[in-house]
Amino acid sequence: MLKLRLPGLSRGVCANFRIPNPCCYSNSVSSSIDVKPKVPLYLRPPSFSASLSELSMWHKWAKNLASSVGSTFVNLDNGPDSTLLHRELNWLLQDLIELQHHSEILPRLESSNNENLDVRVALRAPLEEIYCVWRQRIEERRPFQYVVGCEHWRDLVLSVQEGVLIPRPETEMIIELVEDVALNNSPELAQGFWADLGTGSGAIAIAAARALRSHVNGDAGCRVIATDLSPVAVAVATSNVQRYGLQDVVEVRKGSWFEPLKDVKGELSGVLSNPPYIPSDDISGLQAEVGRHEPTLALDGGASGINDLLQLIDGVASMLKPGGFFAFETNGGKQCKFLVDYIQNEKPGRFRDINIVSDFAGIQRFVMGFRL
Amino acid sequence: MSKRLSNGSSFLSQYIRTKTKAFCSVQSLDNVIDPNQISKVFDPGYSSILHMSLKNTWGSFSALPNSSFWGPQNQHSLYIHRNGWIWAREFGSQAAMEPCTSDGLTVDGIASSKWTILEESESDWKSHAAAIAQSIQVIKRRLQWKKLLVRLDLLSAELNKPDLWNDPVHAGKISREHGSLIGKMKEVKAFEQELLEHIDMIKLAREENDTDLESESMKALLRMRRDSKDKELEALLAGEQDSCSCYIEVQAGAGGTESMDWAAMVMQMYQTWAQRHGYRVTVVDEMPGEIAGIKRATIKVEGEYAFGYAKAEVGVHRLVRISPFDSGKRRHTSFAAVAVIPILGDGSSRVQINESDLRIERFRSGGAGGQHANTTESAVRIVHIPTGVTATCQNERSQHQNKASAMAVLQSRLDQLEMARQAQMNSQHTQSLTEISWGNQIRTYVLHPYRMVKDLRTNYEVSDPDSVLEGDLDNFILSYLSASLDKGEDEPTTCDSVCSCGNMS
Repeated sequence: MLKLRLPGLSRGVCANFRIPNPCCYSNSVSSSIDVKPKVPLYLRPPSFSASLSELSMWHKWAKNLASSVGSTFVNLDNGPDSTLLHRELNWLLQDLIELQHHSEILPRLESSNNENLDVRVALRAPLEEIYCVWRQRIEERRPFQYVVGCEHWRDLVLSVQEGVLIPRPETEMIIELVEDVALNNSPELAQGFWADLGTGSGAIAIAAARALRSHVNGDAGCRVIATDLSPVAVAVATSNVQRYGLQDVVEVRKGSWFEPLKDVKGELSGVLSNPPYIPSDDISGLQAEVGRHEPTLALDGGASGINDLLQLIDGVASMLKPGGFFAFETNGGKQCKFLVDYIQNEKPGRFRDINIVSDFAGIQRFVMGFRL
Repeated sequence: MSKRLSNGSSFLSQYIRTKTKAFCSVQSLDNVIDPNQISKVFDPGYSSILHMSLKNTWGSFSALPNSSFWGPQNQHSLYIHRNGWIWAREFGSQAAMEPCTSDGLTVDGIASSKWTILEESESDWKSHAAAIAQSIQVIKRRLQWKKLLVRLDLLSAELNKPDLWNDPVHAGKISREHGSLIGKMKEVKAFEQELLEHIDMIKLAREENDTDLESESMKALLRMRRDSKDKELEALLAGEQDSCSCYIEVQAGAGGTESMDWAAMVMQMYQTWAQRHGYRVTVVDEMPGEIAGIKRATIKVEGEYAFGYAKAEVGVHRLVRISPFDSGKRRHTSFAAVAVIPILGDGSSRVQINESDLRIERFRSGGAGGQHANTTESAVRIVHIPTGVTATCQNERSQHQNKASAMAVLQSRLDQLEMARQAQMNSQHTQSLTEISWGNQIRTYVLHPYRMVKDLRTNYEVSDPDSVLEGDLDNFILSYLSASLDKGEDEPTTCDSVCSCGNMS
C-alpha cells in the first residue's frame, strides 16, 4: 500500500484525505482471485469539482514538476523527458475534464486571462488525488497509463492497471500482419478460431477480432480465444472485451499458453502472441516505469529471453490447422534469427513463408509464417 | 414561323427603344414610380418637397415590417409589376448612371470620403454608411463590376439587334447571360439604393426633428451594416478551397530561442484566433525548442472557411522586441514562417498515394524498444519517397492514430503540391511558385521601441500588438483578402509557400 510520503506543497492537500487509500486507483496488485477491474479515469462520472483557479494552480505546479525533470530520466534509463511529460499532462487533463468542456477550459489554463477564475470545473477525480497521482508519475515513475487507467492502442482505448502489461506501440503491427499478410493471402482464415496467448489487457485479441469481423462482414464464424495466466489480466481483458461489445467473439480463458486450448487442437486458424521475451538478467536494468511497475510475469522470458517463444513455436506446429497463420513479437534481430533457424532445423517441412518483420524503429521485431 | 417570330421580337426591341427614348421625355412621371432615378433627376429642392409629401404618409408605412418605403422590395415589385423586361433593359443602359442622395452623395463618394468607421454600437450614421459603402465596394470588386458593365452593354447591344432571333439558340444564350448579369447587379444596385435612401431619410428626419424616424432609419442602417458585412465575407471567401478546413504550420526562423519563442507566440495567436471563430483546433505536430518556444508546429483547424481566412496569413512574420532571453536586454528581430494547407473535401480529386512509395519510421527511436520501453511517445514520420514530402504526428495517444494523422497531413501536402503543379502548367501561378523565402515578409510586429503591428502588403496597421497576438486578426485578414481582389487574382499566393513547407519538417 502507498504511504503518504508527500512533503511540501501537497502536504496540506493530502492531509484531508477522507478515504484510507487516497490514490484509490493506484493501489498494488490484488492477490485475490476475484479481481474487480478498475474504471479508467476518462470513464468515471464527473462527480467532483474544483474552481478554475485551483485547477490552474495545480496545472502550474504539475507543469513545473514535469519541467524539473529535464532530460534526467532520459540519461538515467531512457525514460521520459519534460516534453513528453508535458504532453502526458495535457492528456491527463483531457481525461479529467468532460470532453464538452475541453475547448473552453484547457486554453484557459495556459492563458493569463484572469476572468471568472472562481467558475467551477467538473472533474472525474478529486483534485487532491490528481496532485497525488502526478507526483507518483514523476517521483515514482509510475507509468502514465496506470495513472489514467487506460492506454490508447490502435483505435482502441483499453483499460490497464497494475498487474497487466501496458500494450506497446510496436505490438500494433501484429494486427497489420493479420490484415495485410494472413487475411490478404488466405481470406478463409477469417473464419475459425484464433488465439491470443498471454493476452494481458486483451489488446491483440480485441483488435484481431475487429479485423476478422470486418473481413467477413459480421460475426459469422469469427472466434478469438485469449488466454492468460494472471487473474488480473483475465479480469481486465474480460472487461475490455465487454466494453467493445465483443463478448460473443472473444473468449478469455485462464491458463498458460496452449494449456486452456486443448479443445481446439489442430483447428486454429491463427495464433498471435506478445510473450515475455526480455532476458532475466536485463530485468533489473529496465526503465523505471517498466521494471518497477509492470508485471515481471509478462516481461521475463528466461535466461536468454526466448523460453516462452520456443514453447510457442513448438505449440503452433501442432495447434494450427494446415494453412494456419502465426505471428509472434520478439526482443529483436537476435531472437528472430534464432527462431527462424529453430523452425528450419527442428521443424522441417512444418511451415512455409517464414518471415522476419521490422517495427517502425527498424528493429527486427516479429516472426511470422504459415503452417503447411 | 421563325421569320415571323423574329419580326415579332424585333418589333419588341423596337418598342423598347422607343420606350427608352420616351422615358427621357417623361422623366418626372417615371421617377415618381422609379426611385432609381430620383436623385439624378430632381433638383434637391424638389426632392425635399417630394420627401415631405411622402413623409405625411410615413406613419402608415412605418408600421410595416420592412418600413423602408424606398426599400428594394417595394421598388422591384412596383417596377416589375409594371413591366419586368423593360426594367431590365433600362437597367442595362442606365447602369453607368450613379445613384446618389438628394444632396449628391454617391456610394463611391461615401467610400472615398474616409469617414471614420466606429464600432457598430456607436450610433453614427456616417460610420455605418462608410462601413456599408466599403463592403459594397468589396462586393463589386469581387464581381469585377467594371467588366460586368462592359459585358452588359455588349449583351444589351446584342439583344437590340433586330435579327437576334434569327438564331434562337444564340439569342437564348445571350438573353440568359443578360438575365444572370442583371440578377447579379440588381442585388448590389438595390443595396446601394437602400443605403442612399436611409441616408436621405436620416437627413430629412434631422431637418424635421423627427426622432422616431431618425432612430428607425439608424436601426435600418445598422441592419444593413451587418448584412453587408456578411455579404462582403461571402464575396471575399469565394475561392475554390476557401470553405475547407486547413492545417496551419509555423516554423521558427534563424536566431535560436528568441525565434522559437516568437514561433510559439505566432502559433498561440492562431490557436486563439481559430478558437474565437468557433473552429476545432488540434495540435498535430510540435517540435519544442530546447529552452523555450517551438522549432515548428502544425495545427489542424476544422470548420467552415478556415482555409479561406487562414490563407491570408501565409508568409513570414517579423518580430522586433527586447528579447527576454538576452541578458544584455538588446533589441532583437526574429522571424517565423507560416504556411497554410487546405484539407480538401471528399468530393475533390485527391492525389492517389501508393503504399509502396511510403517509408514509415518512428520519429524518435533508440533503445531496445518493445517490452523494454514504456513510453507514451508513439510519433511516426511518413516519408513520401518520390517527392521527399514528409509528415509527422506525435500528439495522438496511439501510434496507429499518429500514423493516421500524419497520413492525413501527407495527403494534404501532396494535394497541395499537385494543385501547385497544375497551376504552373496552366501558367497562372508561375509568379507565386517561388519557395517561401525569409525575405517574403508579410507583417511586422514591433514591441519596442514603439508598439505597432503593420501588414506590409496592405499597410493596414494597429498600435496594439497585444490584442493581435491574442488572436485579433480579422481586420488584417479581411483587408488583405479585399486587397487581393484588386490584383485580379482569385487565389492569393498560397500554393508556393505551402509546397516548400512540406519539405520543412
